[in-house]
Parts: sequence; structure tokens; C-alpha cells
Amino acid sequence: MSNRTFAVLGLFAEADKIVDAARQIRPRKLGRLEAYTPYPVHGLDRAIGLAPSRLGRLVMLMGVIGACLALLFEWWVSAVDYPLVTGGKPLFSWQAFVPVMFEVTVLFATFTAGLAMLFALNKLPCFGHPVLHSKAIKDITRDRLALSIEATGEAFDAEGARQALLDNGAEAVEIVPVPTWDRPLSLVGLLRTIAAIVAACVVAGAGLFAAEKLIPIVPPMLHMHNQPKLSAFRESAFFADGRGMRPAVAGTVARGHLPPAFATPEEAGTLLSNPLAFTQPVAERGRKVFNDHCAICHGTVGDGVPLLSLAYGGKPGNFLSNEIRARPAGHIFGVLTLGKNAMPSYAADLDENDRWAVVHYIRILQRAQNARDEDLP
Amino acid sequence: MTAASRRSLLVRNLLVAMTLIGAAGTAGVYFSAARERFWVNWLLWTLFLLTLGLGNLFLVALERLVGAHWSVPMRRVPERIASLIPLAIALLLIGLFGVPVIFPWTYPAAAHNPILVAKAPWLNLPFFAIRLVVCTAVWMLFYAFYVRGSLRQDESKDPAFTVRARRMAPPFMVVFFFTVTILAFDWIAGLEPDWYSDMFGVYLFAGTFISGIAAMVVGVLSLMRRGRLPEVQTKHVYNLGSLGLAFTVFFAYIGFAQYMLIWYANLPEEVIWFKRRIEGAWQPVALLLPLLHFFIPFFLLVGSLGKKHPATLRLAAFSILLGHFVDLYWLIFPVLGPKPLFGWPELAMACFFLSLGSLQVRRAMGHGADMPVGDPLLSRGLEWQL
Repeated sequence: MSNRTFAVLGLFAEADKIVDAARQIRPRKLGRLEAYTPYPVHGLDRAIGLAPSRLGRLVMLMGVIGACLALLFEWWVSAVDYPLVTGGKPLFSWQAFVPVMFEVTVLFATFTAGLAMLFALNKLPCFGHPVLHSKAIKDITRDRLALSIEATGEAFDAEGARQALLDNGAEAVEIVPVPTWDRPLSLVGLLRTIAAIVAACVVAGAGLFAAEKLIPIVPPMLHMHNQPKLSAFRESAFFADGRGMRPAVAGTVARGHLPPAFATPEEAGTLLSNPLAFTQPVAERGRKVFNDHCAICHGTVGDGVPLLSLAYGGKPGNFLSNEIRARPAGHIFGVLTLGKNAMPSYAADLDENDRWAVVHYIRILQRAQNARDEDLP
Repeated sequence: MTAASRRSLLVRNLLVAMTLIGAAGTAGVYFSAARERFWVNWLLWTLFLLTLGLGNLFLVALERLVGAHWSVPMRRVPERIASLIPLAIALLLIGLFGVPVIFPWTYPAAAHNPILVAKAPWLNLPFFAIRLVVCTAVWMLFYAFYVRGSLRQDESKDPAFTVRARRMAPPFMVVFFFTVTILAFDWIAGLEPDWYSDMFGVYLFAGTFISGIAAMVVGVLSLMRRGRLPEVQTKHVYNLGSLGLAFTVFFAYIGFAQYMLIWYANLPEEVIWFKRRIEGAWQPVALLLPLLHFFIPFFLLVGSLGKKHPATLRLAAFSILLGHFVDLYWLIFPVLGPKPLFGWPELAMACFFLSLGSLQVRRAMGHGADMPVGDPLLSRGLEWQL
């Protein structure tokens, strides 16, 4: 115990007396007033000059911030970052956002109320309060009310405070010194605490792990793994043929994937003609598709010289040859659709319009390499 | 004759004059405007007075149910405002004549509407009238029990009534919820009988309760200003403000929940009801409703100072009362057309009904003492601390 005074405690037997005493003593400005009572006393907060709590304003502010953040987040998620139409509603559907805004408002407000009350306004954690070391604390927690005049500086007049309390009806007065702490937060103690927490986590985790392995009564978190559904490419005892993935019903045609109406490119040449008009956008599309898919083997100008490597053993067709120039458009489309020699079918990669656009572009290449005088501007 | 009593007489004469002018105007509406418009106005104002009365009767019973002490010194005010119930019931019974005019399920065309044919066992005139009579009988019974009983206790000082009143509160709550739900379904939702919402009874109850609290706040503050409740202190009024704050939120919650569920499900027969009320010319009214009924009173009452300051509290209460009128207007008037109608017929009938209601409450203000002096809980209510 040091010699410095923390506060002077005066004990009272009745609530009215402590309120009266606080009212009398407060104007004398002897020190900071504080009260310790076993039950709430009405009017005591105003008598010791306690300002109204700022908690309400803080909670309001955080609640409004929570509502705004929730709205902002939902707007960003639903209308900006991943716009997905749900139920035919607009992307920014405020009605659907209100429940989340409400919840986040309540979350922010309650957390603020609890945490700000404990840590900001009540100044917790407080591991030891000087009054807890006083002799009067037993009475305070039973049936006595204590008014405390806390020292606010070196010039604190403990004797004057004692006299003031006695004059205003205190039954007993106690001078509470500032306790001498035995370094409550030493580095070694802190490290020990952290080590103990880590050890507790390791022991608990390892114990749980071992228990679940040794005594597999309660399965670990595998609920999501055991689902009574069929996974892709797995067998199933439910179907007679044992296949989990069901083959399509015979004759099924996927939308936009009608099978070609021809068996060979030659047949296509007699049956089909290019349905696309020969326009600038179609030609541009044809050039893009040609350069992306065809030029690697047939060459950028379509002369059959591969871009990739001459070491490649195949012999890509030369579109500039008289043979191919003479072929009808439908024939080229047929080759693209069915494939020829080493060339695979491009039906899966290019839709019909793209294939026809390439046919137009091949015609452009052929004309460019066999230009006549009248083609000059 | 003192200045105060002279002023009181002047106000009374003014109210009588306004009632007479309003009555003449109402008769004028009946004979000159469309019959539908007359009955829709009649229904609106009857329900306005009835819900204020029922809300205050509910407040009286709620105090009995939970055994509250703080509200006992102010209880005479809701008991007196509840005197609107007999008046509004009389008006509602007259309103039965308007049922074939404004309720589509009574039209001959209803026989060809499969939805209305299916609802016919519930929506038919005899059963409708029986329900009305049963509901009004229940309200009158409990009104007589709680209000007359409390007045009689002033003289007898018999504590047994306090016990009886508490025992009657739970059954009252149950029948109150049933009867208010029937009132909401029959007299408001029934105007557009294709529409359906489970929540609608609770919605009207929430509006009834919060507007009842608002009317009680206005009554208590006005008596306090006249010095007739000298022992009622800020702490009592503060608690009343807290109750009001809680139930503005409740009303907003119920109202929004009903709107959001119907908006989400997007079922044609339900959504059309809201579409008619939140789009086009009705949109300003739909926006006014949450403003008056929630945002203004909520932000006025949310701080502790607002609940202690009489002017703020009164402003919040008037906002709620105006919001309650806008609410009923928004619920009922869209049946008249896609544009909100508000002209001399509405003003004349508002003048008649509001003056009549004020006269009734003023008359009741003379009944008994200003505080329930016979209630054994009164002294505890006065000593009650926050």
C-alpha cells in the first residue's frame, strides 16, 4: 500500500441520505464524485454530476452506418459485380435489400452498444479497482451505500473530504490508498498466458481429432460429402444398366444443333448455297474466324503453307488452287462441317453463320490473289 | 365564470357549429356526389374513430394484462377516448346501408366471378351482418366492463375490480385480435375481394394500436397543459413515448413485411392490389405513409430527450394520427379510381366526423375524476420510478 490517496469513501445507510450528501458536496469541488451502491438509486446519477451517456448517439450513428453499408454492399453485389436477374426483378431491388439492411443495422447497433459500453465508456478491462481493496467493500455489496470523493491531483485534501462526508451524514469514512500493483502485466506473465492459450488450443484440437479417429461414433464434418445424389460418371444401382448418367432418348436433338442434311462435302456442294449476304460485317467476321481457326494450317492468305511449322507432315489444302476455286460454296461449307482427311469437323467450334462467313472470306482471298485489271480502283 | 371555463364553452360551441356544418355538408354529399364516394368517406371516417377507440380500449386492457403501474395515473385518458367506440359502432351500423353500394361481392356480377363464388360462404350479407353484430357486441361488452367498472371504482374504492379486470384481460386479448381481424377483412379488404393477405388483420391491429397510443399522448399532454394531471410527471410521459416508439417500429415492420412478401411472390391477384396503390397518382400517398407513420415519429422519439419534451412528443403523436388517416385513405380510396380524390365532399365529411368525435371525447372528459382515484395501484403508479 502506498501513501497516495485514491479516494475517500463515506458509507451511508439510506438512499435519500447519499443523494442529499452528493448534492451538498458536489458544488465544493473536492474531487471527482463516484458512488457505489448495492442497488440502483434514482437520482444519484444527476446528484454526482454524471453526464448523460453518449452511448445512445454512438449506437444511432453505427446503426445508420450499418444500414448504409448493407445497402451499398447489396447494390454492388447484385447490380455491379455479379448482375444476375432473379425472378424477373430489377437488379437494384431495394425491397429485397431491406431485411438485410435491418439485420446489419441491428448487428452494428447491438455490437456498438455492448462493446462501446464495456470497453470505451466503462473502461474495461479493469483487473483490480482500488475500492475492491477497501474494508468497506463488504458493506457496499451488502446493505451500505458509498459516496466516494476521488483524488484528482496532488492538491487533494483528504482530511477536508473526510470532514465533508461526516458533516453530510456519513456513518463511517475510510481513506482508500492507491494500491501498489505487483506489476500486473509483466512480459513473462504475458508470454506465459499466450503459451497457455496456445497449449490449450493444441491439446483441445488434438484431443478432438484423436477422439474422432478412435471413436468414430460421431462422424466428423462430412455431412456435405454424404449426399444421396448421383455424381457425374458414377455408377448407380438404381438404373438397370448401372449407369448414373443417362443417355439421351433416341432421336434427341439439342437446340441449335440440327444434324447436317448431307453426308459428304460433294453432296453439300450440290444442295447448299451461302445464305449470308456478302456484306462488310460478314466479311470481317469471316476474317476473324479464318485467322483464329484456319490460318494456322492453311496460311494467312489461304495458300496452304502452315504458319506453325513446316515440319508438320500434313498437306493442307491450297484455297488458291484452281481445284478449290472451282468448288461451290456448299462444298467448302461441307468440308468445314464434316472434316476432311486430317482436318477435323469444325461444327462444334463454329456455328453455321461463322462457317458461312469463312466461306465468304475464302472467296475474298481467292479473288485477291487472282485479281483482274478491272478490280483496280 | 372563469376565463378557462369561458374558453372551454367557446370551444364546445365551435365544435357543435362545425358538427352542424359538417352534417349539412355530409347530407349535401349524399344527394349531390356519387353514392359510392359518400359511403367510402363514411367508411373511412367511421373506421378512423373506431380504431382510435379500440386502440385505447386495448391500451387499458394491456395495462391490466401485464400489471403495469406506470400507466395507472394516466389511465382515465384512454378510458375516455374509448368512448369513441359506441359512437363509431352506431356509425358503422348505419354504414351497413352502404354495403351493397361499395362492396363488389354484393354486385350481381359476383355470381360470375369464380373467386367470389368460392368466397361466397363467408362473403354474404346475412353472415356479414352477423359478424358485425357479434364484433360490436364484444367491443361494447368489454368497453362497458373496463370503462364503467373503472368509473364505479372511483366511488366504491373496491380493489376486487382490479383483480377482475386483470382476469378478464387475457380473454379480451384473444377476442380482440379475432374481432379486429374480422373488421379488417370485412370492411377494408372486402372492398377488393379478389385480393388476399394473411397479414392484413395484424396490419390493421398495428395501425389501431399505434394510433391509439398517439391519441392517448395527445389527451394526456392536453390535460397536463390544463393542469388537470398535476401528479403525472415527465417519467410517466417518457414511458408512454417509449411505447409509442416501439410500436411505430412494429407498424413499419408489419406494413413492410406484407408489402415485401407480396412483392416477392409476385402473384397477379395479390400484386394488383399494391400496384394500384404505389404507382401513378397514388405514389405520393404511398410515400407519405411511411414518412408520417414511421420516419417522422421514429426519429422524433428515438432519443431520450424527445420522449421527455412535450412539444416533440405531441408532434410525433400528430404525425402518427395524420399517418393513420393517410393509411386508411390509402387502403380504402383506391376503389374509387386511379387518382386520389380529395375535394369538398372529403372535407365536409372529415369536418362532420372529426367534430363529432371531438365532442364525444370532450363529453367523456367530464366523466369521473381525471385520475382513477379508486384504483389501489394508483399510489404505486405515482411513486413509480424509471
